[in-house]
Amino acid sequence: MCDQPVRNTNEVRWQKVLYKRQPFPDNYVDQRFLEELRKNIYARKYQYWAVVFESSVVIQQLCSVCVFVVIWWYMDEGLLAPLWLFGTGLASSLIGYILFDFIDGGKGRKKSGRTRWADLKSALVFITFTYGFSPVLKTLTESVSTDTIYAMSVFMLLGHLIFFDYGANAAIVSSTLSLNMAIFASVCLASRLPRSLHAFIMVTFAIQIFALWPMLQKKLKACTPRSYVGVTLLFAFSALGGLLSISGVGAVLFALLLVSVSFLCPFYLIRLQLFKENIHGPWDEAEIKEDLSRFLS
Amino acid sequence: MVLKVFFPTCCTSAESGLLVGRWVPEQSSAVVLAVVHFPFIPIQVKELLARVQQAGRVGLAVLGTWCHCRLQEPEEGLGRFLEGLGAIFTHEPWLQLCRERGGSVWSCKALGWPMSPGAPSPAPVMLIFYDQRHVLLSQLHTPATLPDPQAGDAPPSVGGLAAVFDTVARSELLFRSDRFHEGPVQLSHWQSEGIEASILVELAKQASGPTCLMLSFLLSLLSAVGACRLFRLWPLPFICSKLSTCEQARHRLGHLTFLFSPRKAESPVQLMRKVNVFFSLLLDVALGLALLAWLRAENCIGQLADALVPVADCVAEELQHLLQWLMGAPAGLKMNRALDQVLGRFFLYHIHLWISYIHLMSPFVEGILWHVGLSACLGLTVALSLLSDIIALLTFHIYCFYVYGARLYCLKIHGLSSLWRLFRGKKWNVLRQRVDSCSYDLDQLFIGTLLFTILVFLLPTIALYYLVFTLLRLLVVAVQGSLHLLIDLINSLPLYSVGLRLCRPYRLAAGVKFRVLDHEAGKPLRLLMQINPLSYSRVVCTYRLPSCGCRPRLSWSALCRKLFFGELIYPWRQKAGKQD
Repeated sequence: MCDQPVRNTNEVRWQKVLYKRQPFPDNYVDQRFLEELRKNIYARKYQYWAVVFESSVVIQQLCSVCVFVVIWWYMDEGLLAPLWLFGTGLASSLIGYILFDFIDGGKGRKKSGRTRWADLKSALVFITFTYGFSPVLKTLTESVSTDTIYAMSVFMLLGHLIFFDYGANAAIVSSTLSLNMAIFASVCLASRLPRSLHAFIMVTFAIQIFALWPMLQKKLKACTPRSYVGVTLLFAFSALGGLLSISGVGAVLFALLLVSVSFLCPFYLIRLQLFKENIHGPWDEAEIKEDLSRFLS
Repeated sequence: MVLKVFFPTCCTSAESGLLVGRWVPEQSSAVVLAVVHFPFIPIQVKELLARVQQAGRVGLAVLGTWCHCRLQEPEEGLGRFLEGLGAIFTHEPWLQLCRERGGSVWSCKALGWPMSPGAPSPAPVMLIFYDQRHVLLSQLHTPATLPDPQAGDAPPSVGGLAAVFDTVARSELLFRSDRFHEGPVQLSHWQSEGIEASILVELAKQASGPTCLMLSFLLSLLSAVGACRLFRLWPLPFICSKLSTCEQARHRLGHLTFLFSPRKAESPVQLMRKVNVFFSLLLDVALGLALLAWLRAENCIGQLADALVPVADCVAEELQHLLQWLMGAPAGLKMNRALDQVLGRFFLYHIHLWISYIHLMSPFVEGILWHVGLSACLGLTVALSLLSDIIALLTFHIYCFYVYGARLYCLKIHGLSSLWRLFRGKKWNVLRQRVDSCSYDLDQLFIGTLLFTILVFLLPTIALYYLVFTLLRLLVVAVQGSLHLLIDLINSLPLYSVGLRLCRPYRLAAGVKFRVLDHEAGKPLRLLMQINPLSYSRVVCTYRLPSCGCRPRLSWSALCRKLFFGELIYPWRQKAGKQD
């Protein structure tokens, strides 16, 4: 109503520019304003099974933590001989090491330029330091109460799960911090074991399952997705079986967690996509599309 | 501009005559120094003025005439004669100061003022009386900040005041002649009350030259011995720099050299400093002798020696108890048992060593103490420094514990801080002085986290040991620090200046204040200038002697920071550390 006389008296069309003097108030917009409104231009359409496949990374990590805790419990109870665990771990590490190079035919190794001598050196450093420090680790937390240690380990393992690099591009992700927290938790737990050999083997096992196993997983997932699904299923069932041998309730809860993470959460994600309403229009902040990095260097 | 005439109070009752003084054109003020009585021969007055001018390098002149009429009626003839004198002694402006009718009425005329010829009326004249003796003897301390404008009626600028003080001080030769002096020219000015002790003063002055020469020769001999090559060999300078006795002795030697140097003191400040040093030395030695006499009279040294070894034993025993308490579970703290045992046994062994050392020393303690007591005749400060050194030597085990604890703790804190950065995947960028993110290798991460875990769980044990030994150390440092404070007080207190301020407040002037004596219309304003004495805090600030420089110069926050990070603290300043 208000802009009717304005249009009649002088046939000036409003223009969306600030550098011209126009006979309109500053906050004036005309009726074409909402014509440029668009919705959900960046929304992605998800495929259910693809999301389930991607969620297997989370499953793997949950299972790693579960397997680690189960193994620690067995060691603590004395049901598992440390040397047997050491032998199995060593054998599986060797198999994993060969697989690691075999899957992509040595391309990754050539790309990173890492020699086998460096791998051997790292392995030696792990073994030597852990073995050297294991007596210290054994007496480290003698005077600290067990509950404190458990609480600390739980927090550290939770932190490990939170900060782990699942492939999302977020600020919270820090694979260094996640790995460090896992090692801290493993050292804490290992210090409660009865002998220093136990502690040594526990920490070695922690390195294998928290540092080396995710590297192999990543490669498997990239190169042979089918076998990766198989490995994940196998791993999940073995973790469940291990947990079942300790406590039935825990196993049921863990199975529910796994099912909800891998099947319910993707389903829910896709359902929620229907309610997505992202609006875009001329009020958006300016976005620089051009790549400016060539000017910066 | 108001013409200011500074007139000495002692000349108010002088006979009529000529006003002798100095004209300060910048301040438009005339400083009258003396009155020349009738009769005089003009050429002799001029000669006298020239003589004083040469001696004091100050421009003196006849400023005008002074007329003191004791009778009720002013004498006509005298007035005309005085006017005529202006033709003999030419001066611009020519003052005519008159005191009439028994001193109640003052008048002052300035011929040829103001300088500009077109001025309609004679400019007002202000008559300011000053005490010549006080102004002559006092030393003006110009304030660092400008004086408060409300303080006085019309305070002249500091420069003008300084000029007045300077003029009076420089024409000291004028005041030499006394009342009974039969010279060609009769002067009226301030005269010293008596010169009975002057013979003694003269004798002392005559004797001081050779004495100073001899003493300075002896002192230079002493310092030459001290500077010889034998004392430059490696451990000696290091030990000397750590012993406060050596520092104090060196400081005192410097004082003596300064005191007996044959050169004359150039400025009044330097003279004051010399006297201050002398009195400080005197007080020091007197106190030391008193201490020595007391020690001898009461046979304190023997008692002290008998008590010393049991006390040291007792301290060691208490330390042992403390360590045993620490080796248990002190206050329910979660200590690492293995590390606790290791540290406790290490320190216990140290105490065992210490006790055997003390027992080895015990036969000689009395002799040592006796000689230490003798050193009190060199001054109380030397004895106190020795005492401080003895305390330092007797608590050497505490110092050792502290150093071990602090080093361990420092290592631990630094390791923890850098490993905590590694734990978060960061590192300290030295070039940019900030924390950057960094990608570590797997083995670096593993070893770093392993060490981090170990350090975290061992931290309470080390921190407790560090805390306990730091508290002990701080106790010793506090005792030593209070001793050093006392020494510094004796060393740096300007005793003579403070005494001067107490007994002769006018000698140290901070400024002046004016009191209105008489203000009538048509008559000159009469003011009395009084000297504001310097405040005690400024006296101490201005004249305090440089101290030995062996005090900690740490602020409290810096001290706490150092304590937290486990850096070593010392009661003395680290000179070597500064050079690094």
